[in-house]
Amino acid sequence: MGIGYQGKTLKEMLAEKDRLIRETGYFYGLEKLELAEEDPAKLTRFHMRLLAGCMSARETAKLISASPAAATMGEFLFEIATPEGDVVSASQGLAGHVLSVPFMVRAMIDLDYEDDPGIKEGDIISNNEPLYGAPHASDCYTFIPVFYEGELIAWTVGMNHISDVGGMLPGNLAGISVNAFTDGWQYPLVKSGENFKQHKWWELLWKTRTRLGTMNILDDKMRVAGAMALHNRISDIVEEFGVDYFMKALREILERERRVLIQRIKSQAVPGIYHLVQFHTVRYKGVTGKLFPNSDRDWLLHMPAELRILPEGKLVLDKEGLTSEADFHINCREAGVRAMASLGTRPMFAYSKTMNTAMMYVLDHEMPPGSMANPQNPFAGTISGLGIMGRYSVPLWNCISQAFFATGFLEEVMPHNPVIVAYGLGGVMADGFRWAGGNLSTVGVQSSAGRPFKDGEPVCVGSANLMTDLGEVEKWEFVEPTQLYIGQKLVPNYCGHGKYRAGLGLGICELVCEPGQHLTLAVFGSASSEVTGAHSGMCGGYPALGPVTYFVHDTNIKEILEKGLPYPTDFVQVREWLKEGKLKAGSVELYHGDTPNVVLKDGDLFVTACMANCGWGDPLEREYDLVEGDVRHGWLTLDVVKGVYGAITDGEGKVKAKESEELRQQMRDRRKERSVDAKDWWKEEREKVLTKQFSEDVYNMYADSSKYEKFRREFVGMWQLPEDYQL
Amino acid sequence: MEKRDDRFTKQNLKLLVEGKLDWEEVKKAIRLAPKDADRFWKYLEVLQERVPWKEKMLLRISDHLYIVAKEGGGRVVKCDCGHEFGDYRANWKLSCRIYVRKTREEMAEVVSVEEAVPNPDLVEIREFYCPGCYAQLGVEVVPLGYPVIFEMLPDLDTFYREWLGQPLPDERPDWFQDRTIDMPAQWAKEG
Repeated sequence: MGIGYQGKTLKEMLAEKDRLIRETGYFYGLEKLELAEEDPAKLTRFHMRLLAGCMSARETAKLISASPAAATMGEFLFEIATPEGDVVSASQGLAGHVLSVPFMVRAMIDLDYEDDPGIKEGDIISNNEPLYGAPHASDCYTFIPVFYEGELIAWTVGMNHISDVGGMLPGNLAGISVNAFTDGWQYPLVKSGENFKQHKWWELLWKTRTRLGTMNILDDKMRVAGAMALHNRISDIVEEFGVDYFMKALREILERERRVLIQRIKSQAVPGIYHLVQFHTVRYKGVTGKLFPNSDRDWLLHMPAELRILPEGKLVLDKEGLTSEADFHINCREAGVRAMASLGTRPMFAYSKTMNTAMMYVLDHEMPPGSMANPQNPFAGTISGLGIMGRYSVPLWNCISQAFFATGFLEEVMPHNPVIVAYGLGGVMADGFRWAGGNLSTVGVQSSAGRPFKDGEPVCVGSANLMTDLGEVEKWEFVEPTQLYIGQKLVPNYCGHGKYRAGLGLGICELVCEPGQHLTLAVFGSASSEVTGAHSGMCGGYPALGPVTYFVHDTNIKEILEKGLPYPTDFVQVREWLKEGKLKAGSVELYHGDTPNVVLKDGDLFVTACMANCGWGDPLEREYDLVEGDVRHGWLTLDVVKGVYGAITDGEGKVKAKESEELRQQMRDRRKERSVDAKDWWKEEREKVLTKQFSEDVYNMYADSSKYEKFRREFVGMWQLPEDYQL
Repeated sequence: MEKRDDRFTKQNLKLLVEGKLDWEEVKKAIRLAPKDADRFWKYLEVLQERVPWKEKMLLRISDHLYIVAKEGGGRVVKCDCGHEFGDYRANWKLSCRIYVRKTREEMAEVVSVEEAVPNPDLVEIREFYCPGCYAQLGVEVVPLGYPVIFEMLPDLDTFYREWLGQPLPDERPDWFQDRTIDMPAQWAKEG
């Protein structure tokens, strides 16, 4: 006799679900949606009751948290799952994370948790271990089983992204970590509480294993409170609708949602094969040193994507050629890859009244074993892997945009390159108080890309959290008491250009104030400005630009402020002020993505920027009234307007049409003069490939990716290389 | 032709294609559920009226590029200026004029903040131009030697037969095959 519905074991229930999907193609074998056909209004009422429960849990529980990421940005989620782990409904919040829950429940079932430690009413089970389904250690999940007359009929789940996870570097998205041990504290599917109460020892672990014990304990209480509230709401709903209706309805909702997704693809896209590639740099050489010799090198990461839209409307995202797993911070396991890639599906076609895991049955992933998306080392570092795997959402945004563009649904076209930075910091105050913090503000919102009929807009798209929010500066300053924001603004010229350009990227400028005995800060970047975002913008537009970070040490900024003079507020101004000598500095560090742990002192500046998205179309076709708007608002400078867009303006920013037309013709003539036929270009490039004229990082990247037969075949075929060509 | 679905009109679609549709009307189109069933056919009409040539469009694949049916048989990629790029199963980029930005100075002409200019030791910027009108059709920021990226190979026969319910007259089992490699293979033979 099992603890599941109708006396089945959870193992039996999961096996039956898997078999029915495999044999019929329908979720739980539901070819006919009986409840929807008999009384659609009742099913909708039921569905909305679940959603209301999730939203209510979210809005009340978040008041317990002290973290700006949770309390103001909404970086969390409350969910209802079937006994087998399929999420049927979820609150607003971190959208991707619905797709992690099935992995965690499956792990509990596979590990025989029903037998040992046993699962009973009032249990609280916690997990942040990527081996068992968490995307990374900073994403903490709390499960409460829902029983009805002794049978487990659902799970309620609370999750959030905590601020510090006790890793080698402070914060929650490290730019350097070499394995699971330096990632931080990871707890695998622990029964952390009983009788709806966490154990005492659980609090001690938060206090001893992380730098932000108090804040993390409050986040834990938030997750438990929300999951409990949802548990109680489900009990009410079962009383109202009956347990048999409840169980059947959960399954019907998922099958109905699956069909909606397939239908959206089949009615708006084009079947076929789409390609996109992205690159990234990891700079560990000279940083990890003798302590971690396997990591003392640099990497150029190769992230190819082949998106196949199949005749039946399903999708396959193939990553063959992806860089191998390594001793760095950005490996990621399947749950994380699925969670993050799905972020590109939500706005494109998987929008729904309520988030769910129907996507599990619509989008398949091919994740080569041994690649950074499927590491075989159980101790692989994964602390920031989801940040990089989030870039596998880009083929879904951009390739599906291309498909919608082909069919004329231009209003649904929305390419996106989520280029973000996050940072962690920590130190010791003058009075000996040890502290740490993690800032996620730009993770919550990005600028949008150019679209086929309009420019992108600044600071408006939350790829990870559809409830887009930067958080409040004052709240961030409260939890990072050494950091004073002296600038948070759009940076002129910082965008991918095109006929329709991207929204401008966002810059942040912080002054370090009274850090006490010691302060360090490290940045994680989801992209690198050494190689840009995705390989391209759309239809001739330029790609998204990568992040930029300056650390400016020993400055005279406090003297400038004391005199009441103007001061620089973004990285471009900082650079220009330094050149002009108005801002003085003992030393300056510039980074293009991740940074090591940098020591900061009183009066230093930390200046960063990201979110510069990609453009759409040929910049020489940009309409003059849009150029005039760029100039009028100070978004593009005159040299860029002229050099990139071929527009000449008068003193008031009005485009001189005749002169601009002549300039654009000259620029097209210049294209003609300096371009060559593809065949001639191919010959020249082939010679360089044959003689292996690659830089060390590029050589290593090709050598690694050539282990994959498909990539090697493509590479050898493109350059017509001899069969024995080796790297 | 079936009855028009004018919940989103051809005129509004034309304005949307031109970037002239009022944002409030765009929002109405976004909210439209279900979408207008004849959108694709209206789109082809709007696009066909914008080009100076007569070949029948089968699919738009980029701002300037279309797959068209040739009268004597065949499906080729064609620019709105009239230039033809050959069989749609081979990557049209290999029929372009190509300019490669290799140095920081060359890249800085189109990346307008100096800190974000890519590292020339790692990548180059490839620009693909139409040999007819010199419109910029594509950009790639990739390492030296990276195979040219074939952005989209549509399965046209499945699309028309199974998704639109109107099969193309020249259906063939080999239409959905990547033929890109044939081009460098030919170039290698020619020497």
